[in-house]
Amino acid sequence: MPGPDTVIVGAGAAGLFLAARLAEAGERVTVLEAGPERSTQDLISSQIWARKLKWSGPAVEEAGNHPVGHAFNAGSGTGGSAVHHYGVWLRLHKGDFTVASDHGVGLDWPFDYDELRPYYDRIQAEVGISGDAEQEIWRPEGAAYPMSPLPIFAQGRVIQAGFAAQGKRTAPLPLAINSQPYKGRASCLYDGWCDAGCPIGALANPLVTWLPRALEAGVKLVHDARVIRVERDVNNPEKIAKVKYLERGSEKTLRAARFIIAAFTVQTTRILLSSADGSTPAPGNRHDQLGRYLTSHPAGTIFGLFEGETQPHLGVTGGQLLSHDDYDNKTAAGGFGSSQWIIANAIKPHDLLGYGTSRPDIVGPQVKPWLEKAAKHIGNMTLVMEDIARSENRITLSDNTDEDGIPLAHTYHDLSADLISRWDQRMAEGQAIFRAAGATDVWQGPRVPMHIMGGTVMGRDEQRSVTDSFGRVHDTANLFVAGPSLFPSTGAVNPTFTLTALADRQADHLIG
Amino acid sequence: MGLSRRRVLAGGGTALGTFFIGGRWVEATPKAARERGFTPQVLTAAQCGALESVGDALVPGALQAGLAPFIDSQLALGSGSKLIAKYLGVDPLGQLSFYRGIADNLITSLARPEITPEQLIGAMATDAVTDWAGPPASYAFFVLRADALDVTYGTPEGFATLDIPYSAHIQPEAYW
Repeated sequence: MPGPDTVIVGAGAAGLFLAARLAEAGERVTVLEAGPERSTQDLISSQIWARKLKWSGPAVEEAGNHPVGHAFNAGSGTGGSAVHHYGVWLRLHKGDFTVASDHGVGLDWPFDYDELRPYYDRIQAEVGISGDAEQEIWRPEGAAYPMSPLPIFAQGRVIQAGFAAQGKRTAPLPLAINSQPYKGRASCLYDGWCDAGCPIGALANPLVTWLPRALEAGVKLVHDARVIRVERDVNNPEKIAKVKYLERGSEKTLRAARFIIAAFTVQTTRILLSSADGSTPAPGNRHDQLGRYLTSHPAGTIFGLFEGETQPHLGVTGGQLLSHDDYDNKTAAGGFGSSQWIIANAIKPHDLLGYGTSRPDIVGPQVKPWLEKAAKHIGNMTLVMEDIARSENRITLSDNTDEDGIPLAHTYHDLSADLISRWDQRMAEGQAIFRAAGATDVWQGPRVPMHIMGGTVMGRDEQRSVTDSFGRVHDTANLFVAGPSLFPSTGAVNPTFTLTALADRQADHLIG
Repeated sequence: MGLSRRRVLAGGGTALGTFFIGGRWVEATPKAARERGFTPQVLTAAQCGALESVGDALVPGALQAGLAPFIDSQLALGSGSKLIAKYLGVDPLGQLSFYRGIADNLITSLARPEITPEQLIGAMATDAVTDWAGPPASYAFFVLRADALDVTYGTPEGFATLDIPYSAHIQPEAYW
């Protein structure tokens, strides 16, 4: 029996999408996934059960003044981190593609927004996005959303009034969540369980979008298959001949004509770094670029208690409303960087993002009455801020190894002072918005890392990047990378829409 | 849209927790496990007692809800632990030594006759605990309080005590 044409490492949003596209074009595709097999039946409505969906592989070491939060941001198993993503699907703005040219910091993308726009449009029609493009006045050009926006509940309305009182605008948050049945998938029930995974398929996670297509097209999925490294062809060192992996403890080898590493930012980079061979550098690392430009959005949450009932359990985890009023002025006084507010997230009483956890100062007999009040009257919104790619923020191999002797990944990530200043400024503005909305008690959470990007960035210049604009590793003819590790800049928007559009462009290129 | 489409689906790997009670392994909730005198798997009885005593001072009700059997049974799962410590920088494989360290600190502090659990949590919050060893006491305070919230309010029953509709898409058959 012939081997696969393409081996894809990682069954997340990018990996399963590419698997489906390539298999539908007639290729034999095998996907190696480090985590367990999952189905929608595994998406139990519990924040505690949801922790099973997050990264459960060997530890990732973290350092710097803004550690990347790998255990919370990464996923494990079929669907990867996109199984527990919140479905906030926003486009990068035009200026996000030219940060270095415009501002002399970070990196440019190797193409502009207009190049990616048709892929955004095609993916949004395929997946379905609920939103209102006309109200979203900051949005770059593109097709209108195929579904009307999700409803705004009491929490959204009260915070929206605060924005208006401060002279700021809001719009319905565009979400890859169905406001109506769409292409055989159900509409949302607004019960706020997105973080635990959406078993009804209203939220476009890969288990209900790309996985069925991939299986229908004949893709072979191998679970619990942890890739150690790829190895070059001894007769043609510009090509990869095989991938080595551990399947339930046994070392195995798989040969193919093409390899795509789509194992999420940190593990993708770890695999490539582990593929150095003696004096031969790791793929993409002839110029010591592999692992550099690690990025993560600095985020934070504003909380407030309101007089009226806010129904904070209703809606979706991602939020109800959006404000990009401050997005495009990266150089405004007070710091540097774009930012967005995603407003009125459905919220639970416990867990890392829950309101109970947000107030560690409340203990003892005060806890229950405070939770009872918050359960009816709390509001919250999330700041997402741009990160700027810096070469010293980097993924490397640790001297420590896992129980199989494989080096652990080590991450170092610092935020610059001007980004921190912008974060502080926006959070103070967020508190003012809540007070203008009538909140009687306002507080904020800590600065936290949201999303992990970079490490194998795209670029035109091999001396400042790892892959070309199609994700092909510069020095290796048949080795590609997919996913957010390709992003040279982050903007301030959630990355899943962009990484999927990027994978769509890659697929067109590979299929020809 | 409506309740008719809100499916409560069986299965999905939601087995009850397993506890050693009365000389045999039984499936039970942490609350029932504590009520029936569970035998800890990886912590000592003294460590469990200290954790639930301080946890209950942080979040009243945590002791009865089964904080000690919750933590102990999750630690026994090794890499499968679903404790929130995973999100807070404590890798599941390192959680057992982390919790043993916290518990031993608590035992030492509570052995002082002048210290009540309520006084201890005040000192933990400000890292003012005498002779505290290992990760900062304030960090242990945050983790243990989050665990106590999980076990007390992170369940359908906990939501009900706060009058929050749980509205599961797939109902957890057990807490975890």
